Amino acid sequence: MTKFLAILKREYIQRVRSKMFILSTILLPAVLALFGIVPAVVLSIDAGGPMRVAVMDQTGKIYARLDEALANDEQPAGPAEQLRTGPQMPDRTFLFEQVPAVGSDADAQRAQLDMRLRNRQIDGYLILPSDFMQQGKAEFFNNNPGDVISGGVLRRALNRAVREQRLIEAKVDSETRQALFQPVELKSVDLGAPGEEREGNSIFILVFGVGFVMYLAILMYGQIILGAVIEEKETRIAEILFSSVKPFTLMMGKLVGVSLVALTQLAIWGAAFSGFALYGVSVLASRGVNFSVPGVPFTHYVYFVLFFLLGYFIYATIYALVGSMVTTPQEGGQLAMPIILILVVSFYLFLPVSRSPDSSFSFWVSMIPFSAPVAMTVRIVTQTPPFWQIALSLLIGFGTVIGIMWIASRIYRVGMLMYGKRASIPEALRWARQA
Amino acid sequence: MTTDITVQLDRVSKSFGDFTAVKELSVAARAGRVFGLLGPNGAGKTTTIRMIVNITAPDTGTIRLFGTRIDAAIQDRIGYLPEERGLYRRMKIADQLRFFAQLKNLRGEVIEKRIDEWLARVKLPEWKNKRSMELSKGMQQKIQFLTAVLHDPDLLILDEPFSGLDPINVELMKEIVLDLKRAGKTIIFSTHQMEVAERICDDICLLNHSQKVLAGSLREIKSSFGRNSVAVRCEGGDGVLEDPALVSKLVRHADEAQALLAQGADAQVLLRRLIDSGARIGKFEMVEPSLNDIFITKVTEHA
Repeated sequence: MTKFLAILKREYIQRVRSKMFILSTILLPAVLALFGIVPAVVLSIDAGGPMRVAVMDQTGKIYARLDEALANDEQPAGPAEQLRTGPQMPDRTFLFEQVPAVGSDADAQRAQLDMRLRNRQIDGYLILPSDFMQQGKAEFFNNNPGDVISGGVLRRALNRAVREQRLIEAKVDSETRQALFQPVELKSVDLGAPGEEREGNSIFILVFGVGFVMYLAILMYGQIILGAVIEEKETRIAEILFSSVKPFTLMMGKLVGVSLVALTQLAIWGAAFSGFALYGVSVLASRGVNFSVPGVPFTHYVYFVLFFLLGYFIYATIYALVGSMVTTPQEGGQLAMPIILILVVSFYLFLPVSRSPDSSFSFWVSMIPFSAPVAMTVRIVTQTPPFWQIALSLLIGFGTVIGIMWIASRIYRVGMLMYGKRASIPEALRWARQA
Repeated sequence: MTTDITVQLDRVSKSFGDFTAVKELSVAARAGRVFGLLGPNGAGKTTTIRMIVNITAPDTGTIRLFGTRIDAAIQDRIGYLPEERGLYRRMKIADQLRFFAQLKNLRGEVIEKRIDEWLARVKLPEWKNKRSMELSKGMQQKIQFLTAVLHDPDLLILDEPFSGLDPINVELMKEIVLDLKRAGKTIIFSTHQMEVAERICDDICLLNHSQKVLAGSLREIKSSFGRNSVAVRCEGGDGVLEDPALVSKLVRHADEAQALLAQGADAQVLLRRLIDSGARIGKFEMVEPSLNDIFITKVTEHA
């Protein structure tokens, strides 16, 4: 045990102290902050002030509604809507000016508007033809057709204005109109244990998050584990180590040491993200948007952590196995490709499993160690399976981890005695037997 | 030291696929002595050592260390300097030594004390906090040696320990090895350089083609071969020394020659023939055969 700890400690301290680790740990949150905050700030900068728009309303009814609709548009329906439209638009984007349309010659009016547009006295003009209420076709002339944001806002406001006007003409009173425009809110509620309501959507995001972080961690650290296993072969230290420790102790020490490095980094990043998220939520809250943490029972969080660890270790040990067979990280990289494939496939299994979490298909994929981490997590949040299934899945999974490490350490031991030779798969199997 | 014999190999064999690395080897290394495992490259020395330190297991036969079968506790009593050397390139020397000592279950303050002592002993104390990649090859080799002795092992196994060292450092290391021997440690010393082995080994085992050719105390082996070698310094008389009836092997050095007498040949006859041939003799001395001569004689005998 002390030898195991010595190896683990060396592996951990050497890596955590390295410049690479310190840099990447700091850089990622910094870059994310940059990409997360800067665009929001940039978007909220309105370089040109409000857009001055002249409106030639040949229907004579819409102009008043338009102004009103635009004011309403600036208070989107719910948090989701608000998130989708992105950063808040400045309070008043448009400055309308009504151009008399009746009586005077329309063409002359247009020529004059063109002139004003060219002289930049206005930023655009809107023509609502007299059949606008029936045809619903309007024209918006402006200097900057690339400004999609303003175009979109204007279209929404017009839509609303026209609908409103049509309802007025249909003699619908203002109360009914308001009721008609009341947006719906779709809340997916799952009947869990009695007296317990869970919001499906955010839970799904949570599962997706667990799977995704696992996936990222494996992609990032698999290669490092592979390198760590090869290190002593490349530097010829393996022989001294094996005169002092068992290969299995060595491999486990390395695996756990590197994994703790990974978890340290993820924890730091996690803390940074939570910081951003809390900041984001508080900003949204100050604008009247409320978020609630999905109501997940505490045991589920424990399961998330356990299955995250399982998923990470299952794939990490395969990288260690590959490392035991090869002599350089480059060779290992090639051999590791199929691993990534299995990983991707098992990740996408969350779709069929989430649709029928109780099927026998779901049962089996949640027992197979390579797909269990994602599949079982999905099952736990959708229709929590009996405890024995969860326990069995964990048992099989961690048993597999130990088994793979045992095989890897045997291959490593024999492979080390044959420097400079990469093992073919049948050779590796023979080595595992004869060591 | 409870038993007189530290390492005992009994009919040990090991093969890799079709290749037999060690065949039916039985030897014993006695406590408090330097045991030389000698032979040309590929004779099976390294494989034998790897079996002793429990890196590979023999296919057949038994190995006993300190009177018992090898286990983890016994591994901690061994210090091993492999032929293939390596250190963690980016690790500081002190950290590195501490790590290897911990792998031998050495704990606490004593590690720090020994690190300082041993670094001073090999004259590298100022390198304590340098990374190993900053050290010269010879320095790295001395550090590597320290990883083998830091935990004060009872059995020290050195595979080609002097290769790549300059003469001054070879002397230094030799002194350390002999000091350890005086302190009662058993030392197994593997080399293909017979001259080196001749100077420090008490007992030897000659291996060739995976098999033991010869084993025993160096002194006894030498005396059993008798003084059948002559160191000659003379001018002229070349034809006489080349006569296969008298001399089976002739090695010429700068100003003298070493002649191994042919079987049944008499040194007195050789001397008389040289004088008769008119050669001027500066030196004519009966000497013990070198280990190299013995090895070559034995190997050719077996062939």
